[in-house]
Amino acid sequence: METVIETKALTKKFGDRAAVDGVDLHVPAGVAFGFLGPNGAGKTTMIRTLLGLTQPTSGEVSLLGLPQPAKRREALARVGAIVEEPRFHPHLTGRENLKIIAAARDRAAEGRIPEALQRVGLAQRADDRVKTYSLGMRQRLGIARCLIADPALLILDEPMNGLDPAGILETRHLIRAFVDEGRTVFLSSHLLDEVEKTCDQIAIVDRGRVVVQGAVAEIAATGDPTVLLAVDDAEAARRVFSSENRVTHVEVEGKELRVTLADGLGSAEINRALVTAGVAVSRLEPARATLEETFLAITSRLEGNE
Amino acid sequence: MRLVKAEMLKLVRRRGTMIWCALLTIGSVLIADIVLLSLHAANPTKHGSAGGAENLKNLVFVLGGLGTVSAILIGSAAGSQDVSAGVFRDLVVTGRPRRTLFNVRVPGALAVFLPLLAVAYGITVGGAYAFSGSLPQPTAANVGHYAAYLVAITSIDIMLAIGLAAFASSRVVVGVLIAWNAIVSHILISIHSLGGARKYIDVAAAEHLLPAGVNTSPIAMSTATALLVLVVWAAVFTTAGRFWTNRRDA
Repeated sequence: METVIETKALTKKFGDRAAVDGVDLHVPAGVAFGFLGPNGAGKTTMIRTLLGLTQPTSGEVSLLGLPQPAKRREALARVGAIVEEPRFHPHLTGRENLKIIAAARDRAAEGRIPEALQRVGLAQRADDRVKTYSLGMRQRLGIARCLIADPALLILDEPMNGLDPAGILETRHLIRAFVDEGRTVFLSSHLLDEVEKTCDQIAIVDRGRVVVQGAVAEIAATGDPTVLLAVDDAEAARRVFSSENRVTHVEVEGKELRVTLADGLGSAEINRALVTAGVAVSRLEPARATLEETFLAITSRLEGNE
Repeated sequence: MRLVKAEMLKLVRRRGTMIWCALLTIGSVLIADIVLLSLHAANPTKHGSAGGAENLKNLVFVLGGLGTVSAILIGSAAGSQDVSAGVFRDLVVTGRPRRTLFNVRVPGALAVFLPLLAVAYGITVGGAYAFSGSLPQPTAANVGHYAAYLVAITSIDIMLAIGLAAFASSRVVVGVLIAWNAIVSHILISIHSLGGARKYIDVAAAEHLLPAGVNTSPIAMSTATALLVLVVWAAVFTTAGRFWTNRRDA
């Protein structure tokens, strides 16, 4: 599979602190790729470094198969990006803001403006000044600004930030539509649930390092086994688990529990322990670990190692 | 050319800046002409005709001062607006070299400012001929000299403002350049112990180009030296601005 973003030992330091620390990243073409990490993990610095907005301290970057910064202009001609929150000239209209960027791109870019505005649902408001736009409209205008490049690669930094549920859903559909058209979408986010719903592949980043990367389902499956339980006395069950050090995480919701197991602890042993303690179990079923659980497990392991 | 047009679009849509610049250029000469006409109409024996060569010279001096302020306003806006709006990084992400994004600010700002100056100067010259009455009319050489003077000093200030705006916000640039033009440079020019070094001050060089009789404290220098000093000032500021724009994180 063709690789659209490739980095080798990419490092960006601010003083002694490495915001991006020896990252080897491989983003294949034609997927939605999530760059997942907590706030301050180095996601935006990574994106800024990929796009040449800031110079890396060391390492190599290749975009669309073109080495950076040597083939920068050629590569960026086919890249659309939103870095941090989308910003615009507030005194200009949405359409005028797109014209400003189109002027810096190829001649065909200006002709794509009406379609881009239509696609993000801003055609009716395109001639209003941007200072009257809501955050959600600015996010959509940011995506329209990416589209006027007819990009093979879209790099979106926290595109769901500040959106209401309808806006998040709309953005998710747009991203999936871009992927269906054969484009690659690289999006950074700290919203695990959204990344899980939107992306095909992910890299989990923490403190500037990529901890793991691959298909979402594969990474989620690497987490510890989890079981869902329905019991008559959830508090009693919790007390049972608190004395079992092979139970790493318990979530209680009413009479239901979500229990994460470790070190070979099985469902049968859980059941036996509860029954022995006088807790009636009406349901016990294995659950697929969510990306969130995997993410927390990975990042907590890292904290534990330090 | 498309990038220059984009620069112009960003500037002409800044309603507040454009209104101020129009007032400082076109508005100022219109008001001056109206005042001179009113005074002459009220008391023709005490106040001469509103036009003529002498009034043109004085109005050019006024237009030079206020036009410089207007040039600084437009130059500082042109130099800082992409960064202050947070759009500079989006322009960089198009793959356009940073130096190109910087370079287009100069023709963009000049293309917005010079028409304002041209209209203001046209009104001034038109008034000088139309209302000259019995006073001597300006010669074609006067008109050409004054036009060159106005274009030179305002264009230089636009370039200084654009260069400086790579380092500071537009408000700081406006404050610094107006303070420099109106106060600091004149203090330095008045220090006689600085001797011939004073001719390297841009304001001294610009004043050398003033219409004869308007500059009351000229520093001795040739016109070629004055022009060279202005060009070097503009080159230093724009080169520094381009260097920093090229180097800074977007």
